[in-house]
Amino acid sequence: MANRMTKGWYLFFTLPLLIIFVTVVIIPFLMGIYYSFFDWDGIRANPMVFVGLENYGQLLGDTRFIDSAWVTVKFTILAVITVNIIGVAFALLVTTSLRTVNAARAMLFMPNLIGGLILGYIWQFIFSDAFKIIGEATGFDSVFFNWLLDPDYALYALVFVFTWQMAGYMMIIYITGIQGISNDIIEASVIDGAGYWQRLRKIILPLLMPSFTICLFLTLSFGFKIYDVNLSLTGGGPVNKTELFALHIYNEIFGYGNYGFGQAKAVVFFVIVAAVTLTQVYITKKREVEM
Amino acid sequence: MKFRKSLLLLLSIAVALVLAACNGGGDDNNNEEGQEGDGQKITIFQSKVEISEALEALATEYEEETGVEVEVIGTTGDDYFQQLQIKLNSNQGPSIFSVRHITEAEKLQSYLHDMSGAEFVEHVAPNMALEYDGKIVGVPYGVEGFGLVYNKDLINPEDVATQEGFVETLESFNGTDVAGLSLAQEAYFLIGHISNYPFSLQEDNYAYVQSLNNGETTMSETAEFQAFGDLMEDIRANIPSPLDISYDEQIGDFATGKTAMIHQGNWAYGMFADYDLDFEIGMLPFPLLDNDKLAVGVGSNWAVNGTKDEAEVQAATDFLNWMHTSETGQRYIVEEFGFVPAFTNIAAENLDPLSQAVLDATNAGQTIPWSHNYYPANLVVNDFTPAAQNFFLTEDVTGEEFIESLDAAWDNATK
Repeated sequence: MANRMTKGWYLFFTLPLLIIFVTVVIIPFLMGIYYSFFDWDGIRANPMVFVGLENYGQLLGDTRFIDSAWVTVKFTILAVITVNIIGVAFALLVTTSLRTVNAARAMLFMPNLIGGLILGYIWQFIFSDAFKIIGEATGFDSVFFNWLLDPDYALYALVFVFTWQMAGYMMIIYITGIQGISNDIIEASVIDGAGYWQRLRKIILPLLMPSFTICLFLTLSFGFKIYDVNLSLTGGGPVNKTELFALHIYNEIFGYGNYGFGQAKAVVFFVIVAAVTLTQVYITKKREVEM
Repeated sequence: MKFRKSLLLLLSIAVALVLAACNGGGDDNNNEEGQEGDGQKITIFQSKVEISEALEALATEYEEETGVEVEVIGTTGDDYFQQLQIKLNSNQGPSIFSVRHITEAEKLQSYLHDMSGAEFVEHVAPNMALEYDGKIVGVPYGVEGFGLVYNKDLINPEDVATQEGFVETLESFNGTDVAGLSLAQEAYFLIGHISNYPFSLQEDNYAYVQSLNNGETTMSETAEFQAFGDLMEDIRANIPSPLDISYDEQIGDFATGKTAMIHQGNWAYGMFADYDLDFEIGMLPFPLLDNDKLAVGVGSNWAVNGTKDEAEVQAATDFLNWMHTSETGQRYIVEEFGFVPAFTNIAAENLDPLSQAVLDATNAGQTIPWSHNYYPANLVVNDFTPAAQNFFLTEDVTGEEFIESLDAAWDNATK
């Protein structure tokens, strides 16, 4: 009887979530796979022609797709490195005995509260106007110029803004990790005469592995899937040099009107992201140590 | 085990729902939102940023007069067509939308309501209505023209009447605080409009576009394009980088006298409302190969969404009718929107100087047609813009290579 009651409650609480999950994730996902076998322009009334796997076959010959994939990989690698290094650094900083710790935490986290689109527009203004003015005023115009107009620097600008947005979020996860490390161990190491670097390298970082697993997973998948900042900051330009995967798929579908082909790209994209993130979780899980 | 079972259940529910959704998608094409709507509310989604505020004011006046609620959905500019497509596909399509030209009309044909026979359609100026398949599917916003909008204090029209003189004039501004000319970073202002000239200077621009589509000719081997490439090279050498300048900044710099000329159309006049212009402005032809005619065409067309229920279609048609026949509507079109009317029943008085220039050119027959209406759909945003960005960013891309990249862009869009 009691068992049945709990089951009822389980159902009561999970069902709404399940329904939402099915309608906004599972169904569109399956429909996406279905559409990827058709040649269709995305307008409902126009004919859909079944072409089987042809869309997938075309992918390899699409240089813009390959370029975009490569740029996305480059972006993700850079972003994962910078976000996590800065995230850990922030976390270490705000778990010290500084007096302004709470204010610092709040401020470092704040960029994450601004939506990606708005963030992109704000930084677009900073890069195109503020940077130029700083460059003219200080003479460092080899650093302070409009990054968004340089095909290479535009990508770095994206990494920069993404780091600015995400580092605070990762910081929070690392803080919990650091606070979870038992004081006994730290104290023991101090008594044994370990210096700060030794302590960091031999004790704190290994014990932070669970946080690394989570943070790497999140930054990897966020990095691969980034769309909003990309759209508002560079719009894929200049010369399509910063057209990351999600934006590329959007442009294929709504710009060129190749709905089926774009869907095929999205499916491939899903497989890549899933493969990469699962591998990463598998690897970092193995490195986690128990206290 | 239990987990497996529930996953299986979940997936089977999902699959069932998908199948249902697909079936639904198949046969209710002509009947979306058929159940709701009593003709008391219509929505408008249109593509011109410049008239947004005025259109909202007009909508309020209409609502006060007739009680029909008109909702104006904010517009986004360059990606209008994509946004429209998304709205239409998700059953949130507006009752009135805009269609720029025949290639878009072809794509959206199943949504377009046949307006032939409506009262106001009879007043459309000859050959100005958008026809598809023998039906009138769009009525023109107005006639628009573009060219060199210039500051009369800084530019003498005779100096820029020839290609050579134009380049010399641009060079004469080097080293001064004033830029000779500016383009803006938005797709159509960067390359879309200006790329018209070599097309429109062809004897038959439509036939030329067709032969490009068929691969019978290339831009690189056409004299007008070679000249265009050279001219763009000269322009690049003498103007501030257009990728740095937004439409707003372009207008602002011109209005404050920091730029002598901008390549813009009469639609830009509304943008000057925020500034006190202390000089006179006018519009001149863009002197590619000494061209002396303004590029004039229909910028966009109002279309009614025929997939709405009958009451709403009627209400939408009524609104357009009111807009084009009532005194208030006509006043808005001319004075607030700043359109040069393409309707015989609307008198064009008190036009702003840019629209007046367009009207004068039209009356004098000093016009060349717009060609970008015949370009493959979305070509300007998708393919021409990256090519132009590359040209303006990389100093060592020659005009000739630029035209070759436009050829490549065209091939990509028509493949």
